[in-house]
Amino acid sequence: MRNLYFLPVLCLISAFSHATTLHIMNAAGEPLSRVMVTQTAVEKVVADLSDDGYAPHGVLTPADTTITRFTDADGNVSFDDTAGAVQYRVRSQGYVDQYISEDSLAADSGTESATDDNGDDSLAGDSGEDSTDGDVGEDSLAHDSSEGPAVTTLDVTMVPMTKEQYIASYPSNVWLSKLSLGGDEDLKNSFELNCSFCHQQASPFMRNERTVEQWIAVFERMNSYGARLPGDEHQQLAELLQKEYRELRENPEVVPEPRRWEGHLSSIEMKEWVIGDGFSQMHDFLIHPNGFIYVGDNLFDRLYEINTETGEYTVYKVPHNDEQQPGGILGNRFVTFPKMHNYLGVHSFAVSPRDGNIFITPSMQQALLEFNPKTKKFTTHEMPGGYYPHTIRVDAKDRVWFTLALSSQVAMLDRTSNEFTLIDLPARGVQEWLILKSLPLIFAFDPANRPQPSPTRESIGLPMPYGIDVAPDGGIWVARLYANDIAHIDPETLEVTMIDFPFEGPRRLRIDADGMVWIVAFQDSLLVKYDPKADVFTPYELPVVNEIPYALNVDKERGVVWVNGNQSDTILGFDIASETWKVYPMPRQRFFTRDIEISESDGAVYTTNSHFPTWQSEGGLPTLLRITPLPDQAPQH
Amino acid sequence: MSPPRLALSLAALLAAGTTAADSGWLYYGGDQGGKHYSTAAVIDRDNVAGLDVAWVHRSGDVERYGEAMQNTSAQATPILLPPSAGESLVYCTPFNRVIALDPGTGEQRWEFDPGIDRRGDRTFRCRGVSYAVEPRVATGAHCHHRLYLATHDRKLWAIDARDGKACDGFGRAGAVELYGEEGYVPGDVSSSSAPTVAGGVVVVGSGVIDFARATAPRGTVSAFDTLTGKRVWQFDPLLGHASSGAANVWAPMSVDEDNGLLFLPTSAPSPDYYGVDRPGDDLYANSIVALDLATGAVRWHFQHVRHDLWDYDTPAQPILFQWEKNGASIPALAQVTKQSFVFVLNRLTGESLWEITEHPAPPSDIPGERPALTQPKPIAPPPLVDSFLIPSNAWGLTPWDRGHCAQQLAALNNLGLFTPLSEQLSLMYPGSLGGANWGGGALLAESGVLLVNINNAAFSGKLVPTPAGAASAAKTDHPESGKRMQVTMQGTPYTVDIGALTSPLGIPCNAPPWGKLIAVNLYTGSIDWQTALGSVHEMGPITAPFHIDWGTPNLGGGIATAGGLFFIGATMDRQIRAFDVNNGETLWKFTLANDATATPMTYLYRGRQYVVINAGGHYMFQRGYGDYLYAFALPE
Repeated sequence: MRNLYFLPVLCLISAFSHATTLHIMNAAGEPLSRVMVTQTAVEKVVADLSDDGYAPHGVLTPADTTITRFTDADGNVSFDDTAGAVQYRVRSQGYVDQYISEDSLAADSGTESATDDNGDDSLAGDSGEDSTDGDVGEDSLAHDSSEGPAVTTLDVTMVPMTKEQYIASYPSNVWLSKLSLGGDEDLKNSFELNCSFCHQQASPFMRNERTVEQWIAVFERMNSYGARLPGDEHQQLAELLQKEYRELRENPEVVPEPRRWEGHLSSIEMKEWVIGDGFSQMHDFLIHPNGFIYVGDNLFDRLYEINTETGEYTVYKVPHNDEQQPGGILGNRFVTFPKMHNYLGVHSFAVSPRDGNIFITPSMQQALLEFNPKTKKFTTHEMPGGYYPHTIRVDAKDRVWFTLALSSQVAMLDRTSNEFTLIDLPARGVQEWLILKSLPLIFAFDPANRPQPSPTRESIGLPMPYGIDVAPDGGIWVARLYANDIAHIDPETLEVTMIDFPFEGPRRLRIDADGMVWIVAFQDSLLVKYDPKADVFTPYELPVVNEIPYALNVDKERGVVWVNGNQSDTILGFDIASETWKVYPMPRQRFFTRDIEISESDGAVYTTNSHFPTWQSEGGLPTLLRITPLPDQAPQH
Repeated sequence: MSPPRLALSLAALLAAGTTAADSGWLYYGGDQGGKHYSTAAVIDRDNVAGLDVAWVHRSGDVERYGEAMQNTSAQATPILLPPSAGESLVYCTPFNRVIALDPGTGEQRWEFDPGIDRRGDRTFRCRGVSYAVEPRVATGAHCHHRLYLATHDRKLWAIDARDGKACDGFGRAGAVELYGEEGYVPGDVSSSSAPTVAGGVVVVGSGVIDFARATAPRGTVSAFDTLTGKRVWQFDPLLGHASSGAANVWAPMSVDEDNGLLFLPTSAPSPDYYGVDRPGDDLYANSIVALDLATGAVRWHFQHVRHDLWDYDTPAQPILFQWEKNGASIPALAQVTKQSFVFVLNRLTGESLWEITEHPAPPSDIPGERPALTQPKPIAPPPLVDSFLIPSNAWGLTPWDRGHCAQQLAALNNLGLFTPLSEQLSLMYPGSLGGANWGGGALLAESGVLLVNINNAAFSGKLVPTPAGAASAAKTDHPESGKRMQVTMQGTPYTVDIGALTSPLGIPCNAPPWGKLIAVNLYTGSIDWQTALGSVHEMGPITAPFHIDWGTPNLGGGIATAGGLFFIGATMDRQIRAFDVNNGETLWKFTLANDATATPMTYLYRGRQYVVINAGGHYMFQRGYGDYLYAFALPE
């Protein structure tokens, strides 16, 4: 598929003060359903990006936005009025992307009656011209303004991809599914665990031919960024990746077709707000009761406050003191990254139910950040210990809970006393206990002279408590990624109970309204439900192959678990009651979702494109994305 | 191709009585598609160690031009004329003297001196001449067999291949003036590559100084009737873009006569490093453009760098071959580039035969500069240079110079490949020398293996606001060895400052090898082998008594033979080498009088195979000059 990098050369669509319906069909004139149509403003917003390419602190800034909808069973999709000129990209699996040109619309502005928002094939005249792209072809156009709201109907004929084009358009997960790494399942698990939490594997950027030496250089660089691919695997993995990617290029027909898009898509709308730049990493975020969305740029210590109603945002730079160095107490892992402003590492977000203040884990500091959204002021809470503040939640009693990933602890800030309590999670052995206890000594060294871990496949490192959530009964649940276990903490007694997780890679977890613990098994490509009362784990296969899910969230109101499809350019909805999935394709290729937040009031689902590096994503820019049910349209199945 | 021109072409081929495949060397690039390959196999892996000098010819330029030789670069690849045309070995010197030699002895048979206008400070070079039969002239008549020469002073000459006399009836007394009514202006535009002759037309590009002025001269490509010199068509690669110039074709072109296609490797638009006044992609700069040979109409184009800000010209002759894949044989074209990618295209359509990924490109902080958001990168073969260079990769002979290099790298603006220059010193890796350069590649028969020599030395550069009234200060388009180049880009607010990224010892800050020979398998998209190309033993303050094979910057190309050998000079160590095409092992080398910054050629003559190379040095290397042409053969 062609990508949005080409937007600057796309043909333009005139501004019309009325809605537009696109009627998408194949060469035989048959309507095509499940076609993704993305509307983008022709003119980019004019924004002050004078602070190293970003909006200055505290300045209200407009964001570029896109709207994506899908055709219904009749091949129609409608867009509302727009204030300015727009353009459309039309994408359908197996067809060449179409870009709708101004010529397609401007040639004929005859009007006919329209009686509904969806338009009508009969309204489509026969006056279209070929688009300047040459692919749209035989479009026909009608404008209707004689009664009711004016509607422009545009016929678009899709051109089938060649076999080669179609295979090249597949998302990463299906390519990845055919990497066996010599049949060594443990090696593939290690590869996926260490190489898939920032970006997609098997994308065209990864399938690029590399020499063995180039692959090893990549591994070494990635390990310097924070991956922990065991050194004794480098040579073998480099040779296997080179060999198997070559085999896939030679035999692409073995790559399975991706899951087909489904009819339910015509009942939703996706809206994106472009924030940051190609070096940003939009990590976690939250939906604040004040109506704003707060997104953290992990690599640039910036907090984005987004008004989804106006499409404007304000950036707040998280302050650091003069003594703090890039990379914080962890040391700068990104000396090789081209652009960086990373002293704290804005990571995870939670909001206080009492005063609406936002708590943020700065993963590179021994501290907790608090942001007052009214005064826009940051407060730093220094911690008495612990390393790598990670995922954070606030309970009903306004206690702030978060994992400390390196020191294998859970921290709790009691806002009443403003004191921290650090809860040790048990070590898995004496050696690990010694390592954990020696962390303060290790961190006493200057980062440049600090002993560095040399992980092996058997001893990958520390247990790494990762996801955390608060159950309806107030209990705290934690997942330990490398230890393959989960912990329960009694919030009153602080008693810790460890439970073995029978799958690989418990990353993040969430609790549903019934107290069920939902966990993603990263390397095992599973959604897992844990029933605490019955002490039973139930795995659910994901609806797409070789997915490596990072995070999830639960729409408690509707009983839906939302899971990342970060290798398949999707987000996955699991209906708890029916135990069925719905798959939502993302509007950009190489869209790596990470955090998911739910607007319980209207069922809107938010996520960010958190691909790191962002520049590998289609469009090259990070976005906040919202999926919203369309009004007045019953879901189709 | 129109029927008359096709007939002309076929007639010319028949009259020539030879083809590229019969162990001659009729074209600059071995054949019209620039394969740089010979079927000659007398010299092979087993006997190449016995290769020795058969003869040496000296052109006499040193004696004749003296100090002016310091501003020369010997880059000629001779051609061997067919027996019907006299069977001479013909080449040109940097001053465009055309010399015909006995291919067996090196004795001079005739000379043609166009007496070029040597005003100006532009470097003198001549890569070759082109041969064709003119069927509209009677067999046996003067100028039935013709040579075409494009000169430093912008003239296109047609001379008789048998006696070296100018062809009356071609232009004015044998020459066509390539400049316009404004007359010849020394310096700005010259010609160095051999013209392309096919289908009854002779096509000429040009070398344009494209870095010193915002609106450099046009890079117009012109086609002339082979008999009369009358212009048949011309093509402006920039489509008349008013606020830019160049995008010229200085590297050799290729021809697919069967399909009537001429392939142009176009260069950067002017000025090289500042694109504010030429917004957009700047088509058809930095492209391979396929023209209809008969009309000059564009059939297709493939732009490999959009909105060039790095001087990433298309530097080498497009290589035409058949791409074998899954039982299909596709007419293809391989293009090596300075940014170190190898593009493989369907030469009938311009479509890439490997998937293209759009490589995101960093933004510019120069006011008004809008670099392209992405640049095309083939999914295979891999880049020939790993452009990732960071302080921890700094290299040095000692901790001191390594540390110095690390400090330099840490201070550079470095956003990876395609980092645009800014007012802060930026990494340029590969730099404007490449990657690959005009030596191009040699295709090993029908194996799909392309042998390419590349440079692997990082540059740094920046844009310096130009004081009012400053003038351009450089005549070269790349920094000379050990020096930084500073050129005022007239018509822009900036002076560009570029130089090699070296330690205080003058040693590159990136790890060796600094020159490489790479075997690229175009069918599988992989690298079969790679090896260092060149020894640095002569590059220190004293010459080491042994070779130190860390590779050197190199200019010039190589040729492959059916004997399983790859011959190349090009390096900064005065060597010509023979490599085993199967594994890159050096099987033979010989020390020449000067660096041989030219592409060798080979031929069979009376049963003996000769390998010939021009060894005259390169002004940019600052390692002396000469006027040698060496021929090597096995002992009789």
